[in-house]
Amino acid sequence: MDEKNSRRDFLKKGLSATAFATLVTSQAEAFSMQNPGRDAKDAKYIGQVGKHFVMVLDLRKCIGCQACTSVCKVENDVPDEQYRTFVTETEVGEFPDPRKAFLPQLCNHCADPACVPVCPTGATFKREDGIVVVDNTVCWGCGYCINACPYDKRYFNERTKTADKCNFCAHRVDKGLLPACVETCIGGARIFGDVNDKTSEVYQVLQQFPTTVLKEAEGTNPQVFYIGLDSRLEELYSTTQSLDDVVKAEEGFNREWMKARGEEENHG
Amino acid sequence: MKSSRRKFLLGSGAVVAAASVAGYKETMSAVATLSDKGELAEDSIYFNSPEAEYSVSKDGFVPNKDYKVCASTCIGCTTQCGIRVKVDTKNDTVVRVLGNPYNLLSSDPWLPYDTSIKESYTLLSQHGKFETYRSNVCARGNVAFDKITSKNRVLKPLKRVGKRGENKWKEIEIEQLIDEIVNGGDLFGEGHVKGLKDVRDIKTPINPDEPIFGPKSNGLNFIGTTHEGRFKIFIHRFLKSFGTVNVQGHTSNCGLSMRAGEAAFLGNFKKYPHLKPDFENTEYLLSIGTPPGQAGNPFKRQGKLLARARTEKNIEYTIVSPTQGNSDTIAVGDRSHWIPIVPGTDLAFVMGLLQIIINNKLYNDGYLRIPSAKAMTALNDASWTNATHLIIQDETDFGRVLKEGKVPLVLDATDNTLKPSTAVTQAVLDFEGEVQSGGKTYHVQTAFHELARNVNEHTLDAYAKECGVSVEKMQEIAHKFVSHGRKASVDCHGGTMHTTGFYTTYAVMMLGAMVGNLNYKGGMSAGGGAYKDFVGKRYNLFAYKGKTKIKSTRIDKARMAYEKTNEYKQKKAQGKPYPAKDTWYPFTNALESEVVMNSAKGYPYKLDVLMTAAANFIYGTSGANAKVEKLLADPKNIPLFVAIDPFINETTRYADYIVPDSVLYESWGIVHVWAGYQTKANTLRFPVVKPRQASFKNGEPIELISFMIALGKKLNLPGFGEKAIKDNNGTWHPLNKAEDIYLRAFENVAMDGKPVPDATDEDIQLSGIEAFVPSLKRICGANWRKTAYVMARGGRFQDIEESYQGNKLSHKYKKPIQVYNETVGTKRHSITGERFSGTPRYFKQRMNGGETYEKLFPKSEYPLTAFSFKSNVLATPMAASKLMDQIRFTTYVDLNPKTAEKFGLHHGDKVRVSSAFGTVEGYLRLRHGVMLDCLGVEHGLGRNGEGAEDVTINGKVIPGNARLRSGIDINKIGLLDKSRGLATVTDFVCGSNARHAMPVKIEKV
Repeated sequence: MDEKNSRRDFLKKGLSATAFATLVTSQAEAFSMQNPGRDAKDAKYIGQVGKHFVMVLDLRKCIGCQACTSVCKVENDVPDEQYRTFVTETEVGEFPDPRKAFLPQLCNHCADPACVPVCPTGATFKREDGIVVVDNTVCWGCGYCINACPYDKRYFNERTKTADKCNFCAHRVDKGLLPACVETCIGGARIFGDVNDKTSEVYQVLQQFPTTVLKEAEGTNPQVFYIGLDSRLEELYSTTQSLDDVVKAEEGFNREWMKARGEEENHG
Repeated sequence: MKSSRRKFLLGSGAVVAAASVAGYKETMSAVATLSDKGELAEDSIYFNSPEAEYSVSKDGFVPNKDYKVCASTCIGCTTQCGIRVKVDTKNDTVVRVLGNPYNLLSSDPWLPYDTSIKESYTLLSQHGKFETYRSNVCARGNVAFDKITSKNRVLKPLKRVGKRGENKWKEIEIEQLIDEIVNGGDLFGEGHVKGLKDVRDIKTPINPDEPIFGPKSNGLNFIGTTHEGRFKIFIHRFLKSFGTVNVQGHTSNCGLSMRAGEAAFLGNFKKYPHLKPDFENTEYLLSIGTPPGQAGNPFKRQGKLLARARTEKNIEYTIVSPTQGNSDTIAVGDRSHWIPIVPGTDLAFVMGLLQIIINNKLYNDGYLRIPSAKAMTALNDASWTNATHLIIQDETDFGRVLKEGKVPLVLDATDNTLKPSTAVTQAVLDFEGEVQSGGKTYHVQTAFHELARNVNEHTLDAYAKECGVSVEKMQEIAHKFVSHGRKASVDCHGGTMHTTGFYTTYAVMMLGAMVGNLNYKGGMSAGGGAYKDFVGKRYNLFAYKGKTKIKSTRIDKARMAYEKTNEYKQKKAQGKPYPAKDTWYPFTNALESEVVMNSAKGYPYKLDVLMTAAANFIYGTSGANAKVEKLLADPKNIPLFVAIDPFINETTRYADYIVPDSVLYESWGIVHVWAGYQTKANTLRFPVVKPRQASFKNGEPIELISFMIALGKKLNLPGFGEKAIKDNNGTWHPLNKAEDIYLRAFENVAMDGKPVPDATDEDIQLSGIEAFVPSLKRICGANWRKTAYVMARGGRFQDIEESYQGNKLSHKYKKPIQVYNETVGTKRHSITGERFSGTPRYFKQRMNGGETYEKLFPKSEYPLTAFSFKSNVLATPMAASKLMDQIRFTTYVDLNPKTAEKFGLHHGDKVRVSSAFGTVEGYLRLRHGVMLDCLGVEHGLGRNGEGAEDVTINGKVIPGNARLRSGIDINKIGLLDKSRGLATVTDFVCGSNARHAMPVKIEKV
């Protein structure tokens, strides 16, 4: 119990420090370049002033069903083979006592994002409500941010030829609704809201349970928090790759291979 | 580096490295081309995401006029959740599916039914009670709608050109199609084909030697799929009117072993009810092969309730399965357990548990001693069993329950005398001996005594050896199970689809009888029922004048005892009544998997016409690949095959004609929840986008309903056209369109019990049903706003507060549990002549003739046992979804690393898996969550239909999506039962298709 309590205390402190960091960094150093939309104080660039959106993933409630993966593809018109969010399904331990472990992943909307300072155009930045967004009219598609993200959560959108990633469904959140993955989460593992609002579910959950973030040592101060995250998952998370990719290559569905052969992917 | 979704830890070093490099190269080559400008996104920050369907802020609720949101039903799998469809009204296209917060399959708690539509939206916003009423859609349901716009969809009626199965077609007009199938003729240049008009002879016997087989009109057989809201009302109306008894759904390939075993337990072979745990309130769940969140129906609701129960409540659960499913998560620690088991041996495990419970008297003695409903009421219990009823053991009347009139006799525990069960509150439980009744002496035993005898037929060690679970583990689970009283529950489903699945299910359910959990909060529930829909206050929509009353033998030999045939009588006269020519199934309702083979055999008779709707028994039947496909390809076996289907699948490619059908939200329907819920619910749907396919001249789209109506009219069948629907005041109404039935059924729902309130104009507008108002006014008259109220909410749903009454369920299953089932116990197997056991009994995997798998397929040749498992993502009707393969691209051959090591196999190896009857190839995935020496395959890919293969229409090739062929269809290595001549392997009691526990071998390709 002692250990638990100390962990909780630490995280509580961490949380208040994070909130503070957002306000400071978003003005001081999270972006240095000009951006016309933001300079014009366009609401979707500024975000909802006074709010601080975060997500909590309660892994006790995740059943690895991929409903979030699926709805995100639909809601955000994400190109084939690319994902803004997905759930890795892993085994920990050996027969006869293996355990299933699910890890839903998405942009961490870090308080100190590694992707923002490396952007040469000011296309990516953190809104005042904490959501890290990409302005696709300013992005050159240089890929610096994609390589800078320690979580591998940005991708190069092949259609728009720009960097792309989860934006907490800002188009819904800005209308008073919720991110699609949160709406569709069967187990209720995804909890989203304004942590500045003490009556909100996210605030209460963060108060009540110890949480962890991914790759804390990167110093990016993620704003996506996990309840029940097993530390062994982090190593797997960054080192293993999908068997699907191997089979796709073997069966000739690998994009590089198809392009090299001048074939169009036949996709009913 | 490229994002990759599923990262299994079991990759060898080489595999991981190769994949990593490929991903990295791709990203770098893409970003290197800076001069290449991409498509402009719709919005600078929001990219291409569609606008929100409404907004909610401090200033209130504002709908977005570019969209409508309508309630509907997802039929992407058999759970059939109530959902909401977001439609872009400019293009009449579906852009998103959301949960319907009134529907218990999508929300829990769900909204109080009297919530206004506007409030239902605001409650699900940041400014409402989102965390309470969150309403979801699963991975399938979120993408299912892209089937609507699939380029592989059949949009016009097709007639085959070339041979059956070549997948070459020409488009024809629907009038020509109907004319040809009704009148027959030399339709394909292959000789005369009998039309439906000539098949409909309801007088001449189909087999003069067996009058009991009925008339020639039985030459028409219709195979549907699960009831998805249209089959019960339209197919049955047509077939009853036509004069055939031959209709099947897909149960025999799906979960018939479970259904039949539970029907035996619940004493209802007519309705086939089944039980589900009260997931949220149970304290201990023992699931045999049906991990909630991975498998089972209702998929989403079970997953949701389990997630909540293990996080916020008090559940502990054990999944007994050859594969560890997604019920488990390391994040919940010791609340979740997995016991690996050899496929097809669950029965040994459960008989072991029953032995421990019975021999140690760990059962609820007082409960099992309740002999009647009267005693149950007197003792304030919620259910009762026939454990104390006396089963006659004398040769005459063997297996009958000893009765006086209709009342069973029991031994009163207070004085050991024989009395009517209604006069006793506690009866003798364990008895064998002689009793006197009506001046006769009977040798009897109680049902409980027979059960106790059967569970002790083998030792615990023997059971343990069969199933691979230790005696200690069985002891632990048995004691844990009984320690929770009525709040322990059991579950099983598709894992019982093997040759002894009937008795497996019966035994699993019997565990519940030991603790008396039926109808208890936290125990077992038969479901909350539904409001009256097709038969209700305003209309009986099944009734019409001129219905044929044909009582005859079905092509699948279901619902009929062999002993009623002349064949039996003749063979008996010759002194050898058994074996019959083939197996009969006296208490099974329907067997889709038998139809084609039986017609080919001409036993019991030959079919003239096969019609199907959304059926796919070639993909769905284990072993069909080896035989049924070839039979179907030869018109001699079934001369005319008409399929109603929006896609050409593995089965319908053999059709002579294909009639297009509506897809998902384009169609009408009413469905009920299968199980796992406590309150009344009817989920309905109506077209929310215009169907994409061609129309009839009257403007109705060509689909199942309009086609059956047109065909009925062409054949002058009663029940179609004018004067086909009678209201309960005696007035006749015409049946020309789907709405003629459905708006009336919706009205029945609205008017059942205390009628629902009137829908407001705002309700109607915000639920997108304005277009139905003229029809509603015309058909429902004064009740039109009540009917609209139901449509706006996607059905009618009893409030959650009415789920329980104290510690008991509000909706109780009324009949007694059959510890002994008399229907089963008085029948024999028609091949071997052996008596069926009326209580659960252990059997090894076997053929109908009795030969065991282990003898036919020795371990030396077939060292592994193969099984398939339910996908949490894939479902058979989902293949045509373009987006689905983005969520699950392929399926694997799953093997335990320790087993792989024995065979020198590695993660990612290409392997060949063979049974005695077929071979499949695929890639190996090593998982510790697989039983040793077993081989698992997630079911749902390895497709050859629904867009997977090239199709030629009007001479033009429509290319298939080769990605759908990736993965393994394990049914292609299914077994045949040589003891029946021509047959796929079935459960030897109920005839369900045996798709598990196949002996196989594996080799590297």
